[in-house]
Order: sequence, then C-alpha cells, then structure tokens
Amino acid sequence: MRVSYEWLKTLVDLPQDPKDLEREFVRTGTEVEAVERVGANLDHVVTAQVVSKEPHPDSDHMYVTLVDVGNNNVDKDGNPVPLQIVCGAQNFNQGDHIVTAMIGAVLPGDFKIKKSKLRGVESCGMNCSSRELGLGDDQSGIMILPEDAPIGVPLTDYLGMSDVVLDCEITPNRPDCLSMTGMAVEVSAMYDTDTHIELPSVTSESGADASEQVDVAIADPELCSRYTARVVRNVKIGPSPEWLARRVTACGGRSINNVVDVTNYVMYLTGQPLHAFDLGKLTKEDGKYHIVVRAAEDGEHIVTLDGEDRELTSDMTVITDNGKTPIALAGVMGGLDSEITENTVDVLLESAVFDNGHISRTSRNLDLMSEASIRYERLVDPNGCASVADIAAALFEECCGAEVCPGIVDVYPKVKEAVTITLRPERVCALAGAQIPEEFMVSRLTRLGCKVTPADNGELSVIAPTNRPDLTREVDLIEEIVRLWGEGDIEATLPAARNHAGGLTSDQRQIRKIGRTLRALGLNETKSYLFASPDDLSKLGMSEEGRGVPVKVISPLVADQSEMRRSIVPGLLRSIAYNLAHGVSNIAMYELGRVLFGHKDKSQPDEPSYVCGVLVGRPADDAWNAKYPAYDFFDAKGIVEGLLEALRIPKVRFRVAEPEQYGWLQPGRAAEILAGSETIGWVGNIHPLSLQNFDIEVPVIAFEISVASLLRLSQKDLPIVEPPTYPGISIDLAIVVDESVTAEQLIQRLKSAGGKLLCDIRLFDVYRDSLRVGEGKKSMAFSLTYRADDRTLISEEVEKTHTKLVEKVLRSTGGEIRG
Amino acid sequence: MGMSEELSAIREQVLEGIAKARNLEALEKVRVASMGKKGSLTAIMRMMGQVPADQRPQMGQLANTVRANVETAIRERQLALKREALEAQLNAEATDITLPGRRLSPGTQHLIEQVREEMEDIFISMGYTIETGPYVETTYYNFTALNAPEDHPSRSGKDTFYVVDNAPEGKESHVLGESDVLLRTQTSGVQVHIMETKEPPIYMICPGTVFRPDTADANHLPQFTQMEGLVVDEGITFGDLKGTLDHFTREIFGKDRATRYRPHFFPFTEPSCEVDVSCGVCHGEGCRFCKNTGWLEILGCGMVDPNVFKYCGIDSEKYTGFAFGIGVERVAALRYDLPDLRMLISGDQRVLRQF
Repeated sequence: MRVSYEWLKTLVDLPQDPKDLEREFVRTGTEVEAVERVGANLDHVVTAQVVSKEPHPDSDHMYVTLVDVGNNNVDKDGNPVPLQIVCGAQNFNQGDHIVTAMIGAVLPGDFKIKKSKLRGVESCGMNCSSRELGLGDDQSGIMILPEDAPIGVPLTDYLGMSDVVLDCEITPNRPDCLSMTGMAVEVSAMYDTDTHIELPSVTSESGADASEQVDVAIADPELCSRYTARVVRNVKIGPSPEWLARRVTACGGRSINNVVDVTNYVMYLTGQPLHAFDLGKLTKEDGKYHIVVRAAEDGEHIVTLDGEDRELTSDMTVITDNGKTPIALAGVMGGLDSEITENTVDVLLESAVFDNGHISRTSRNLDLMSEASIRYERLVDPNGCASVADIAAALFEECCGAEVCPGIVDVYPKVKEAVTITLRPERVCALAGAQIPEEFMVSRLTRLGCKVTPADNGELSVIAPTNRPDLTREVDLIEEIVRLWGEGDIEATLPAARNHAGGLTSDQRQIRKIGRTLRALGLNETKSYLFASPDDLSKLGMSEEGRGVPVKVISPLVADQSEMRRSIVPGLLRSIAYNLAHGVSNIAMYELGRVLFGHKDKSQPDEPSYVCGVLVGRPADDAWNAKYPAYDFFDAKGIVEGLLEALRIPKVRFRVAEPEQYGWLQPGRAAEILAGSETIGWVGNIHPLSLQNFDIEVPVIAFEISVASLLRLSQKDLPIVEPPTYPGISIDLAIVVDESVTAEQLIQRLKSAGGKLLCDIRLFDVYRDSLRVGEGKKSMAFSLTYRADDRTLISEEVEKTHTKLVEKVLRSTGGEIRG
Repeated sequence: MGMSEELSAIREQVLEGIAKARNLEALEKVRVASMGKKGSLTAIMRMMGQVPADQRPQMGQLANTVRANVETAIRERQLALKREALEAQLNAEATDITLPGRRLSPGTQHLIEQVREEMEDIFISMGYTIETGPYVETTYYNFTALNAPEDHPSRSGKDTFYVVDNAPEGKESHVLGESDVLLRTQTSGVQVHIMETKEPPIYMICPGTVFRPDTADANHLPQFTQMEGLVVDEGITFGDLKGTLDHFTREIFGKDRATRYRPHFFPFTEPSCEVDVSCGVCHGEGCRFCKNTGWLEILGCGMVDPNVFKYCGIDSEKYTGFAFGIGVERVAALRYDLPDLRMLISGDQRVLRQF
C-alpha cells in the first residue's frame, strides 16, 4: 500500500517529519519498504506564460514561442529574459499560463530536456502536456493553467504536489490497512490522536430511482455476500481534476479518465473495490437492466479489461448481463465490452463483496492479480458497500458532472454481525510479560474502532469493527495492545521453569560422529539438491528396485529438477563434473542426507538417510617431499573400514558386488558392505559407462551406506582392554597360492590355524611374477605375531605353533612357502 | 733406556696418537695399539715382573699413572669425537624450514552444518531437544494445523512445491498445480507433530531442509535450511521469547549486537514479530550491507496461536508458548558475507575447503 503523506495528513494528525511516521509504523508492525519523495523528479519544471507565438518559418504545424519563466532565466544584470521554445501544440494562445520544462529537467520516462534545434530554430525547453509530466493521460495539448497562476514557480510547489509516499507492506491479516481511511485509524491508534475523516456526499439527486432501472440477483450467496449498485447519468468523460489524478498516481494507480479514476480513488480511500459499467452496453429487458451474479460455466469466456480472452471454470464468479453474457470477472477484473469509454453516458456503479476463497483461486488459476483481487482475498467488509457507493456517486457528481439517480439497489442476504470479545486485562499482562495499564488497552482499542465496555468482573467487553476480520478472539486484541504498547519495550526474560532437560539423543550424537570421522579421514562435507532428474537412475545404471517410486514435483522450476532424489550419487556426480569443468581434479567429499522412496498408493514417501562419499584424482598433488598415488578402490574401502571401526560396528565383511545387481559399479572393483549377514551399503568404482552419462571421464570411487544401519549396529561402551604385559614374537611368512584364493580366505585359515597364541596377522605384501611366483599365482606375505597373556613365550613354543600353522594352511589352501 | 723413560715415551706417543685421532675408529686403533692385548702399554706392564723389587712399587705406580692418563685421554677424546660427530650430523640435517610441510588435511564440515550445529548447541544449552519431521508433508501439517486458512495466498503454487499425491483417496484440487502433498515450505509443521505426540513442557528445535519455488540465484535457493523452535509450558510470556532470542542472537552474532522486535503477522503465532539484529558492519549507523537501515532481519517468531494449540489438543488456557523460525543460510550469509548462495550447493571443492 502506497500511502501519500499529504493525503493522509488530511485524514489524521501527523508528525512534521515523515521519518517519525515511518519509525512509528515500523515499531507498531507496518513495514515501510521505501520512502519516496514525489515531485522531486520535476526539477526545472516551472509555471510560465506565453509572451509571443509565431508560426515556425519552416513548418506548418509548429510555433516559435517566447515564454516568460520569471527569474528562472535572467540576463547578466539579473533581469528576466523569456525563453525561446519551439512548440508543436495547437491548443494555446499568447498570454496563456502554461507549464515549461527548462533545460536540465528530466521528465518521466527519463526524458532529458536539452537545448536543441527544431528545423533550424533554437529551442531552450519544452512546453508540457499533463501526460508528459506524468500527471494524467491528457495529450490533446499542453497544460493550460488558470489565468491567476503565478509565473516562474516550480510546478510541484504550485500544485502543492511535493509529497512523500511511504510504500507500506501490509500483512495479509490487515485488509483495513489497504485503504487511506484504515491507515488513518491505524495512525490515530499509534499516536493516540483523533482522525478527521470527512467524506463527500451527493448534493442533489435526479431522475428515476436506481431500483426502477436496475435489479440485481445473486445466484449463490456463497459467492457474493452483498451487491450494491447505484446509477449515475450523463457523465462527462474527461481528464480527472489534477488533485484526483495526483492521489490516484500517488497510490500507484494510473490516471485514465475521471470516471475510472473516481472508482480507483474511492477504493484507495476506503479499501472497497468498485467497478463502473457502461450502462449503455447492457441489455434492457422489461424496461430494466438485470445484473446477475453467478458461478461461471466451465469453458465460458470473457475478454477482460487488459484485452486477454480468458477461459473460465465453474470455480470462478462472473457478473452477467441478465444471467447471460459475463460482463466482469467478479472481484478480479472488469470485462472489456462494458468498459467506460469516452462515449460512455450512463454508469452503473458496483460496490460488492465476493467470496475471498473463490477470488484467491481465480486469481491464482488465471495468474491475474489486481488491486481488487488483493483486497477481496484479504476480506472486504460487506457493511461498508453502500456508504462507499455513496462516496463514489458524490465524486461522480463533483468530478464528472454526473446526475446521480436516487436510491441504491442493495442485495445483502445475510448481514455480517460485529463480534463481541471478552478481554481479560490480566491475561494481556500475563501473556506479554509486562504490566500494561488497563487505560492503555481501552484507549487504544477504542482508537482502533472497537467499542469497549467494562464488565463487573474486571473483564472488558469489546465489540470489534466489521472491517477488522482479524479481530475475533481475545488473543487478537492482545496482539493489538502488545504491538501498540511496543514489543521492544517488553522486558526480556528467560522461561522460569526448571522442569525440563534437553540435549542430543544418542542417535543424534552418532550422526555427528559419522561426519566427524569421515572428515578426519579426509572427506569434505558437501550438500547437493534433493531435486533430481527423472533419468538420473537410468543414466547411472542403478536399479529402481528397493528405491520405491519417484516423488514428482507438480510444477518444477526446471525439467531436470522434477523429481526427488532416490540416491545421493547422481547429485555428487554432478558436483564432480562441476569441479572437473572448473579445473579441480582432486575431489574427496561426502554427503549425509535423505533420499525419498515414494509409494505407489500412499501420499508420503519413506525418507531414509544415507551417507555417500566420492573420491576423484588423488589426495593431493605431488609435493617436493611427498608423492601421492591416485585414489583407487582401496582408498574408498579404507575410509569405509575406518568409519565402521570408529562406530564399533561388529563383523564387518566385504563381498563381491554382483554386476547384475550393481550395474552402476565396475565389475571386479565393487563390493557389498556387510555387518554380520546384513548388507548395509556398497563401495566401488563407478562404471565408466555410467560416468560418461554424467560427462565424467576420470575414475570415480564411491560408497553409499544406510545411516539407519550404522545407528542400529554401532556398539557403545565396549570395555577397554589392558595392553599386553608380555612381549610378542613376530614371524614373517610368504605363501604362494592360486589367484582364486582370496585374502579373506587365507587370513581366515591363518586365524583358525594359529590358535590362541596368534594375536595379530598383518598382510604386508602381495606379489605377482609369472617367473618367480608362477603363472596364475600370487605370493602374500604376512607378519604374524604370537603372544601369550600370562607369560613370555619361549622360542621353542612359538616355533612349534608356527610350524603347525604353516602345515595346516598349506594343506588347506594348496599353497606353498615362498623361499 | 730405563723403564721409566720407556713409560714416558709410550705415554707421549699414545697421547699424541689420541690427539691425532680424527674419528672413533682411529681412536679405537690407538687404544688397541696401547691398551690392547698386544698393546705397547700392556707389553710394558707385563714386564713389571722383571723390575727389581725395590723399584717395583715406584715403577708400578708410574705405570698405573700412565695407564690412567691414557684411559682418561681416550675417554675424553671419545666424548669429544662423539660430540663432533653429532654436531656434524646435526649440521648435515639442517634444512630450509621455509619449505612446505608434509601436510595431511582433515576434511571440512559444510558451512551450513557448522552453523546449524552451533545453533543447535546454543539451544541445547537452554534445555532444548532436537526434533525432525518429513520433507514431504501434507497440507494439513504445513498449513491447516498452522492456522493458514484454505485458499490463503501462502498456499499458492507460486510459493509452494506441490507433489503428485499417489494416495487413491487424494482429493481433486480446485487449483491447478496444487495437491494435498507438498515439499515442506517451513519446518513449522514439526511443531504440530511434536505437540500431537508430546505433553508439555516442550522445549524443542527442528533444524532441517525446506523448499520453495525460488529460482536459484545469488540470494535464493529453492532448497534451504530453517530452524524451527517451539516452547510450550505454563506461564510462558512474550518476554521469555525475547530473552531466549536475545541470548541466541548474542551467542551467534556477538555480545555487542542489539536486537529489534518488529510486530508482524504469521498465521500460527499471535502476537508475532520479526527480529532484526544490529548491523555488524556499521553498528546501526546505516551502510550498504544493511541497506542503510542499521538493521538486518534474521528471524520470525511469536506466541503460539491458540488455534494451533486447539489443532494439537493442548489447553491454551493452561499453557502458553512461543515459536520461532530462523534461516540457517541467512545467519551464515550475514556472518560470512557469502557472495552467492549457490556456492553452498555446487560442491565446489575450492569453496568447501574454505569452510
């Protein structure tokens, strides 16, 4: 809502400085988005008088004028000198008082006035039309001022149009503030001062009563709670008086003609949207015009004022000419066919209230917002319709020379009653946590238009005005009192209760630990979109099985964000591609977040959390003292092992991930992560063909683990074991086995053969050489440590155990000792 | 030459050899040559038996003295040589300490998670629990139970991502592009879930991802992070709301920062307000960072509306409460002067490493 300071000043007492008003607005809950000085953009535009007017020597339709601008143009002795201005307008004479833009002026539309030559004749300014000054739509000629207009005065001063406009953000609960009278009431409550709102009234009425000329029918009172209509005849369509145009412009409207401007002006004044129909365009039946308010029919069309042909649905409301042709889209926009034009003679004025829900949906469905729809959505007071129609009629009379027909057609099936609310002053203080005097409550609520009556029991009975739909309960009144009292003035305290304790749950602590551990292992935490492209999984080669159906966004911002992700991997691949494209080749990152697995027959999906990591390139580029090999499968596996160890997950195993099931992984470099018999995730190289689909040409090693599994399986409070007291003996052992024997198998054999004394097995080398080791074979070298808890082992004992171990392992694996 | 002279000569010779020994090996040779089995001093000691008995004590004493002198000299020379060797080694090991270190960098935590944990910890210190809720929410929890009426403008598809409702009973919507299921636009719905399941006292926060159809640009992301807070207890006042948020603001922005409470409107709180923190750049004077207002908006809050209590089955006469919603990205942007919010979601390692 754009609030003109000068206009508001006529309705309520204001402080001298608009800055004070702004501060007070903000303090009491009206956000001021901008403060604009209006008129300041008309510098160098002054009142003037035509001294002489001669035809242009080289043009049939231009004149060379000398224009007196008073002291604004002087010779070196300080005497006024008229300006020579070439002018194309036809509507003026010598001696006329006009408006001149001098050199240096900047007119609306960033039109800079400079010294120029028009067909060879020098021109030092421009004589302006009201349209060129942004003051109206009249472009029939230059503005002619009354004969008594002074000469050489800045136009803004002359018109008294130097004004300040406060652009206020009105919250949706305050429809009353979408009007100047509402703002005046708000200001009167803010400052505890009187309003002096004087509204115009019709001076004389003539002709047939409105009800004899028009009847109104509301097909469904759900759609329209009240419809009033007045008739005015013989309007003289023309430009608005300057004050009217200025106020409409100040409020952000555009001055169109006097009739339309009156309807808009009264809307800005009262908050009640009005519509003027050209009565002559409607059909007379049985000697009367018939306005019918009804639901639109599906597929029905109307061309609205903006020239758009709009297809309607049955959820929308239309005003119709006798139930047939729609002449307005109720509460949103009028129809083009019945619009006020320069030929309009008789006008039907609509002042009505339409259902906010329907208006809101209509506005959204047609993507059409108007000053009217904004107000109807937020609720307009039906009790104001008739008096507002009267104000408009009075202005039609004053500004359009209209003859006002007596009477008003008023269909108001169910009168809206004012609400009576009980207010307990002690409840106000208790909720605020402040001692607010009862007198303050009474005076400010009264200022806001409430009728406040004290009851015997200390309570207050409050009748709220019907233009305040937000005031229906005690708490609504408390809000008014608290905001006017000043939220800033209430003492800050902390809740006094000592009845609760907070903190992280054990799962929440574990989740923090997962992140801490992965970061300690060198991964950077990242975040990616939960939005996904519908082809993400197929591009990746990831099966949809076990991942539900996609959650689909109805109106996505972009096509590749039309679903919610079912895996974190595609998002991280996109981040990898982004990094590679920006010259970053070493990437190590993880994301812990939800994926959304939808159900075919349920509204809401499952939202399990996963932690996913990716490695690209190497840990760092080579340095003078360190060489870093490229990341491979075992870096990712090592991170996974480190994480699972930190979380004390028991019985961790890695199993070959079968290509049929893990199509997005490179066969032979892909593992399922198991804890006991439960698969909790996977780790492996992303398949090169999948990577291609994400524009990545370098290897990516990734893992994905279920967070729920980690939380469930992680062990806490494992007892601490004392370090061994007695020394151990380490023996190295290299065994040559077939390629088919896995490290896991061999270690398992060593473990079972080593018995109680074997306390550590460390694989320190894997060696292949077709000559020295043999084709299809490999040598695995272990460091085995033997130790007893209760004594220092003697070498004979160790040798005996070790010999037995070697025998057993060789026998069971078909291996041999490497000499 | 008498024995005495011989001893003196050996002594001179050996001491000279010791002094000349340039390293421990050379010294050892000198030692062996003098004190070893075939050493010169050993040999002369062996001859002691042939010395006449009357001279023997004198000679013996002399020999012992020579021997002790030699031993001492060797020991001292050994120490000196060891010291020299160590010095040489240390000199050899001296390096250009301005060469870069061999560095192992831990990964970094995402900025939003850092700020979120910090915010969580502040509220945990005041006795709050941390709750969560679903990303895909029903209109009931996102709007209705939060007192936003049907057809409220905030429900518009312009401000909400609606998703396809797969439930067979999903009702037809009056407005194109809307349904009964949506990506939550606020964490406020978690308030309702918690009030439905827990008895007061409730002191909780709910940090989490929310979604709004804002095209990603320097100042907007369609997916961002909000932290909801809710307190429901007996005797909770608007002053308590202020005290709590003042504490939070000072902890997160600094002790010297002031707050401003501006009345505002939210459907689910009444009275409601927006809270500004004084600008950290100009300290309230007005500058480019705060758009000349001296204040930076950080959060919305208010006293829980009795209608919300009613939806959740809580007696609003017995209990009062407050709720607040804080944008985590907003806090991060203000604290770190983030040039572009899209940095938070690109996964750019050059950005992540700065966190």
